[in-house]
Amino acid sequence: MKETRLKILQYVSGIALFVIAGGHMLYSHFSNSDITSWSSIADRAASNWWLVFYVLLLIFGLYHGLHGLRTIILEYFSISDSSVKVLDYIFVIAGLAILGYGTYIPVEAL
Amino acid sequence: MQNLSFKVQRYDPDKDSSPHMQEFTVPFTKGMSVLDGLLYIKENLDNTLAFRSSCRMGICGSCGMLINRFPMLACHTPVEELETDKIEVKSLPNYPIIKDLVPQLDLLFEKHQSVKPYMIREDSENLERPEAGLYQSVEELDSFMQFSYCIKCGMCMAACPTVATDSLFLGPQPLAQGYRYCADSRDEADKERFDIVDTPHGIWLCHMAGACSEACPKGLDPAFAIQLFKRMMASQSLGIRKRPKAAPEIQPPKEIKPMIEVPEFTVQ
Repeated sequence: MKETRLKILQYVSGIALFVIAGGHMLYSHFSNSDITSWSSIADRAASNWWLVFYVLLLIFGLYHGLHGLRTIILEYFSISDSSVKVLDYIFVIAGLAILGYGTYIPVEAL
Repeated sequence: MQNLSFKVQRYDPDKDSSPHMQEFTVPFTKGMSVLDGLLYIKENLDNTLAFRSSCRMGICGSCGMLINRFPMLACHTPVEELETDKIEVKSLPNYPIIKDLVPQLDLLFEKHQSVKPYMIREDSENLERPEAGLYQSVEELDSFMQFSYCIKCGMCMAACPTVATDSLFLGPQPLAQGYRYCADSRDEADKERFDIVDTPHGIWLCHMAGACSEACPKGLDPAFAIQLFKRMMASQSLGIRKRPKAAPEIQPPKEIKPMIEVPEFTVQ
């Protein structure tokens, strides 16, 4: 049941985003330190914990966004089941490329 | 109300490039339905007007139309309930038009058929030549009973915003009927139906707008059936679904005892 599994992941990623992005927003808006300063960013970039936190945010955000976009395309363009496979490959390749680019930079900066 | 203004959609694919509206004046009579108004037009004003109707009592589901921008059965819609003397009648949206107010319902029936809306059991022999009954408790019957009242009028499909944007989407009627049979303890083809609706244009494309439940003239809740179906499929996918035991066979009673005392026949 491929579509069911994809949808369950969509719900899981939504809940995870609520927690992770919520944590990010809380930290950004309620932290006493100036979080946009160079030193604050450099501190977070050097921390493994923050690296895992932001990579997870990227993974869940990417999946949630790309799956949502896939649903919109499926609905508005009524594409056939055979074309859906092509679309899925495009999304997987695009997702992996963005994930690779998004994780390479902070990992390299460590 | 003395007279009613009926604005009726006219379309003949052989002559017209697109549908247009035609206005008729129909005398109001107490208790008349929209279908009565259309019949008056056909009998007295324009006999070329095409529409479907049959039972005139909300059972057959033939006279589904878009009445004042809402999908309804014309026979089941009293004019007084519309609270206006201006009535606009169009063919059901989300279906091609055959002529005037007659929609082409083929796609509805094809999609309905695709979910295998009939009993499937592993022991097909007993289904073909039944020798015993199948036991079902009241609770088991209640779990799908309301969805059995579907009259296949197609009103839910006309109201569905997802069917409007994606013609390949299965739609509320077939999905609700798919659930109806999966929830039936006498049926054993739930996994077969899961595969049918688990497609890119299947069950998960439903946005839960709820327009189908609002439009159903029989008061069913197809949106609820779809949600229950989703829950059933998600729990199956996660391996946490407890499938109820298939209804066991029971021998028909040899003797039927009446629940109330039946008086003896006095007339031969």
